[in-house]
Amino acid sequence: MTAVVVIETVILLVLCVLVLGLLRSYATVLERLHRMDGGLDGDPVGSSVPAGGSHPTPGTARPLPFPTVNGVMAPPAVLPRDGVSDHDDWAPAHDVVGQGLAGDIISVRTVAVEHDTVILFLSSGCSGCAGFWEQLADRRGVAATGSTRLLVVTKSSDEESVGLLGALRPPGLDLIMSSSAWADYAVPGSPYVIVVDGPSGRVKGMGSGTSLSQVSGLMQQAYGDGASAPVLGPVNPGPGHRMSRSTTKPIVKPRSDTERETDVDTALLAAGIYPGHPSLYPTGSPSTTRPGAAR
Amino acid sequence: MIAEPIIGGHGFSVTLPATWEGRIYQRPTPSAAFSPRNRAAPGSNLADAGAGWLGEQTRPVLHLGNFALPADRGDYGSGAVETMGPQNTFIAILEFGRECLGTALYASVGLPRVSPEGFDPNALQRRIPGQAGCQFFFTEQSRPMCLYVVLGSGIDAPALSAQVNMVLDRIRVAAG
Repeated sequence: MTAVVVIETVILLVLCVLVLGLLRSYATVLERLHRMDGGLDGDPVGSSVPAGGSHPTPGTARPLPFPTVNGVMAPPAVLPRDGVSDHDDWAPAHDVVGQGLAGDIISVRTVAVEHDTVILFLSSGCSGCAGFWEQLADRRGVAATGSTRLLVVTKSSDEESVGLLGALRPPGLDLIMSSSAWADYAVPGSPYVIVVDGPSGRVKGMGSGTSLSQVSGLMQQAYGDGASAPVLGPVNPGPGHRMSRSTTKPIVKPRSDTERETDVDTALLAAGIYPGHPSLYPTGSPSTTRPGAAR
Repeated sequence: MIAEPIIGGHGFSVTLPATWEGRIYQRPTPSAAFSPRNRAAPGSNLADAGAGWLGEQTRPVLHLGNFALPADRGDYGSGAVETMGPQNTFIAILEFGRECLGTALYASVGLPRVSPEGFDPNALQRRIPGQAGCQFFFTEQSRPMCLYVVLGSGIDAPALSAQVNMVLDRIRVAAG
């Protein structure tokens, strides 16, 4: 009888240990989920900024510049400081220094410049980056236009497949390998997008998504039609994607038209014939000038 | 206070002043010939073959500018100078082969400095309205080189050339 009681006691103790272990692991999972939702350390779960929402939490965080879609990691909230302007609330940005795919040394300014910069933190191996690479490779894909610069930043060559990146990178795309940039911006993973306000030198938006057009759409929604909104447009600012001057809304043409016109433009540019070239206007002066001529 | 980045490679080193960015590169040796015709051909991928002409010996190139340098640029700044504004400046330093050492063209020793009167629209690789350029050939640290400068506005040459000289003061060239 005594032996049975002892055995039952041991079994009970083992079960108690197992239950305590399960409860602890459950708490750990909840805590991590809370952090992924943008919650701040020490905050109750209910006061955190949820993914997919950009509403402010009074007294704890300012609204996110643009929301992320459901299921996508939200950027960390930025704590406000008293007596400073909105721009000072944004986290400081950093210039990007790294290497190109051919071993070239590159320094790109994102701080204290006139233009904004959209930095895409991508990787050659991440499945979530496929949509971005696909859109970047498409001639009708999106890239920064106007006063907004697009920059793709991967980790350094010791953490990346340079050959794969070379195959993924479309011509004309600015790609820099810089692990230090990932550290400077505390990038949690790829894909991740950061928008830097050039004049103030601060980060005015960050988040993730499944494609560039999705992120662009989120930014457009968040910024509205404001002039400070980074406008993502075509890779080739040529015939395929002209920006309407009145609405700054891209005019999208069928792919075949775009490719045909891009081919013609490429051939003309290779021959040194730019918009405004006299040979294009045999009977009169051009109404437009080539880039750089408006001064 | 924004830290001034330093970039270095291929025997060049530059401390970049505010708003200036730079790139140091050496094009891969071209593995295929190309012409403007096949360059413009649909589907051509010059990145694989390397820009240049077959048999070309590529050398280090330094590009500096106080504007957003595009990814694809010619050695003398084509693709970049077209995007310049009136207050922008582009600097290119190109190294040449050692066979040029001791020749009359490269007899000048030391990285030169520019003067406003030295800029002329006719010195541009391709004329762009408003812009002006200048070009010097010299030898620095036993490395024959060419300095090519483009100003966004020739009218503002006095102020812009002072900026250029300020940046040139920050360039270090290692012995060849």
